[in-house]
Amino acid sequence: MNIAVLIKMVPDTESRLEIVDGKVKEDAFKYMVNPYDEFAVEQAVQFKEKVGGKVTLVCLFSDNPGIDTDLRKMMAIGADEAVVLRQEGYSGDKPSTNSKILAEAVKELNADLVIGGVQGIDYYQGATGPMVAHHLNIPHISGVTKLELNGEKITAKRQIEGGLQIIESALPVLVTAQKDMTKVRFPALKDIMMSKRKSFENRNVNTSKENDVKTIECSLPPARGGGLILDGESPEEKVDKLLEKLKMEAKVL
Amino acid sequence: MNPFHDYYGIPWYAILGLWSLIAVGSHVYQVGFIVKLISLGKDDDRFNSWKQRTKEFLTDWLGQRKVVQDKLAGYAHALIFWGFLMLVSDVIDLGTGGLLAKILGKVYLANIWNLIVDLGYTMAGVGILVALYRRLIVRPEKLKGTSMEGILILFAILGIVLTAFIVEAGNMIGGNTHYNNWEPIGVLFAKQMESINTESLSTIIDASYWIHMILIGLFLIEIPQTKHSHLIGTIPNVMFQDHEPMGTMPPMQTDDNNMAVKTDDLDFDNITLGVNKFTDFTWRQLSDGWACTACARCQDVCPAYKSGKTLNPMQIIMDLKNYGKEHGTSLLSGNTPEENIVERFTPEAIWACTTCYACVEACPVHIEHVPKLMDTRKHLVMEASEFPEELQNLFNNLERNSNPWGLGAHTRAHWAEGLDIKIGEPAEYLFYVGCAGSFDDRNKKVSIATAKLLKEAGVDFSILGEMEVCNGDPARRAGNEFLFQTLAEMNVDAMNSLGTLKVITACPHCFHTIGKEYEKYGGKYEVYHHSQILNELRQKEKIIIKDFEDTVTFHDPCYLGRIGGETEAPRGALGNDIIEMERHGTNSFCCGGGGAQIWMEEDADKRVNEIRAREASKTGADTVAVGCPFCMTMMSDGLKSIGDGKAVKDISEILLENLEVKT
Repeated sequence: MNIAVLIKMVPDTESRLEIVDGKVKEDAFKYMVNPYDEFAVEQAVQFKEKVGGKVTLVCLFSDNPGIDTDLRKMMAIGADEAVVLRQEGYSGDKPSTNSKILAEAVKELNADLVIGGVQGIDYYQGATGPMVAHHLNIPHISGVTKLELNGEKITAKRQIEGGLQIIESALPVLVTAQKDMTKVRFPALKDIMMSKRKSFENRNVNTSKENDVKTIECSLPPARGGGLILDGESPEEKVDKLLEKLKMEAKVL
Repeated sequence: MNPFHDYYGIPWYAILGLWSLIAVGSHVYQVGFIVKLISLGKDDDRFNSWKQRTKEFLTDWLGQRKVVQDKLAGYAHALIFWGFLMLVSDVIDLGTGGLLAKILGKVYLANIWNLIVDLGYTMAGVGILVALYRRLIVRPEKLKGTSMEGILILFAILGIVLTAFIVEAGNMIGGNTHYNNWEPIGVLFAKQMESINTESLSTIIDASYWIHMILIGLFLIEIPQTKHSHLIGTIPNVMFQDHEPMGTMPPMQTDDNNMAVKTDDLDFDNITLGVNKFTDFTWRQLSDGWACTACARCQDVCPAYKSGKTLNPMQIIMDLKNYGKEHGTSLLSGNTPEENIVERFTPEAIWACTTCYACVEACPVHIEHVPKLMDTRKHLVMEASEFPEELQNLFNNLERNSNPWGLGAHTRAHWAEGLDIKIGEPAEYLFYVGCAGSFDDRNKKVSIATAKLLKEAGVDFSILGEMEVCNGDPARRAGNEFLFQTLAEMNVDAMNSLGTLKVITACPHCFHTIGKEYEKYGGKYEVYHHSQILNELRQKEKIIIKDFEDTVTFHDPCYLGRIGGETEAPRGALGNDIIEMERHGTNSFCCGGGGAQIWMEEDADKRVNEIRAREASKTGADTVAVGCPFCMTMMSDGLKSIGDGKAVKDISEILLENLEVKT
């Protein structure tokens, strides 16, 4: 079974987030594999372990080299090859363009199953997966919580508001993984080191000149004011001070 | 009268010769088997510093230095041990029909030798009686449920001693009586036996002689099979004790200069990550199994065992020995038994260790319990990837944000805002803050207090700020040696680039790791725990501390006191006027947080910190002083859960509160 896994590199949630001139300052970011995509890798490897075949990671990213270690870790889980599409000026908020580039690379792999995370935790658009399916002209099932392989068919379970939906599809199909689709293993160090011997291809792709949406501005939520602790000898004194503040400063009384 | 005559027409020496052949043969065969098993272990070059080793051997083995720390059992043992050393040559004399005494007589040494042997038997006899009193009458808790072996052997040795006196006495009587006053106890026996008629006397002496020889032979056969293997096993164990500072761990791979091979250059095809096979332990780790005397002192001081967890450090050592015994033939023929070491130790036991080193400290024969558990953790993490789930977060957090909480690495120096502290600049001292002091709200206050005191005293220091990463201790003690080394290399690069060689830290884990473990990774620094600096500043009156009204007890952190060897500075800094807990200094009891335990789940009914909190509570002090961020957390939580409202404060906080402000 030939499986392609779509990987998005997203900023670490604890990264320093700065906005300069309405744009997110990305050069201070540390990147990590989108956590939803980790479920996809694990699920793909489990299928491979069950029925044999090959798992190829397909990732679209800028020419920033600092992502190798994280991708290696995905390969240590059991993926066989990685294709990293390097695009100058890559931006994670352009699913229309990005899905087209990804689809072109995936097409070459003749995958029976394409699997990715339901959304990226950077812009939460949840669009790239379905759009890749569209470009590949194959069906798609999104936000899957449990995925089973039965011969030539795939059965997907989706948690929906107040219930469970079960979907069946013939292969090839594109599936996007919801949180906890499966438990992601922690690769052993030996596997991480051995993964350095696996094929890891960097491929330059053109910066698309097609029309796409444009982010006009980003802003941070307004900063919260600090609290205030009132000093006082007795509770009465503190309450008096509080009333004073509520009247004079907050003007709510 | 002596027993050296024919028995049913067979000369005594023929009978004895046959018995010796069986007993000695069996003994040598079994010991050989054990030696071969131990030789299967990997190299560990401890064949150096002979002068120091000889001295240690004389004090620890011959002098029984650590054995006598447990008074009753210790001195009983020392008596038996010294007694046996003095009497052991008597076996040769008795086995050769008195030849040794004759030879010694020619050089005028027979008398003194007789006295030594007589005294030896007496000491052993007294020691045995004390030991029997302990086992049969005192019956300490830890001896309950143990096998009868100990008692049986004590009676057997008592038999050896008594029969020796009877044979000795027999030499003096029956025929022409001559009391040999160089054998005073023998004379006492002789006087008691005088009135017995010749025939009975002869039977008694013959019987005693043969009982004596049979018991010794049986003892020889038994020694390699039971805990009495310690008679031999302790010799290499004590002689080749660890000379590395306590608590340090070996790198994954070392080069010719004994420096760690850099993470980028590690040869993963040819290194074994951790231990899961008997033969992956070093020979010195294996020899521990046969040195163990089952005295259970390690068990008594183990926080995991005392809090009801699966781990018993003594059992780990027994497990190793029993595994070797059970799979010995298979191991010696080069096979790998189906059962592995992790299964034998059990993962629950392996993950319960706090690496407090109390077991190692307590062991009279230098057994190294903790390294075995760390070796198996390394296997479980780096080879097998089987470990408590919580550690996955720890590792991810350390990898991504170089701190255990996974908070943004760029916020590391936020605690220092507004304090006018140099960041990333050379200074006399580097204040290595550590993760807890940088990210944990409670412990940030300790960093602030420490910085304020240093500034008050005019100490020139800087911090690394965002260049600092975790020292790596949580990863290392959780078995992720590779991650530890990655972090260590980052810190060493940063610290070397700054060029500051004197380091202050408020965390004993940083203190230990940077001070004692970074050297192999290219970082050699003079590292001080903040209590050492604060103590010095106080003694030199660079900071003036008012007398404080609150009474204080001090909880020694394992990695400062027992492992770090520093118990005075915190007390000096606090002003010596502290109420001590029963267990303190190098005998302090762990808070339960070390060995990456603070990052793992602990069963609510098996909490180590509650045991220690109760000990602190018992002192009645107003404040529990700590010198470690993890002790801070564990002791605060522990006191809360036992319903004690005592304040837990770092040494620096107490000093800052009572600082006499310069005018």
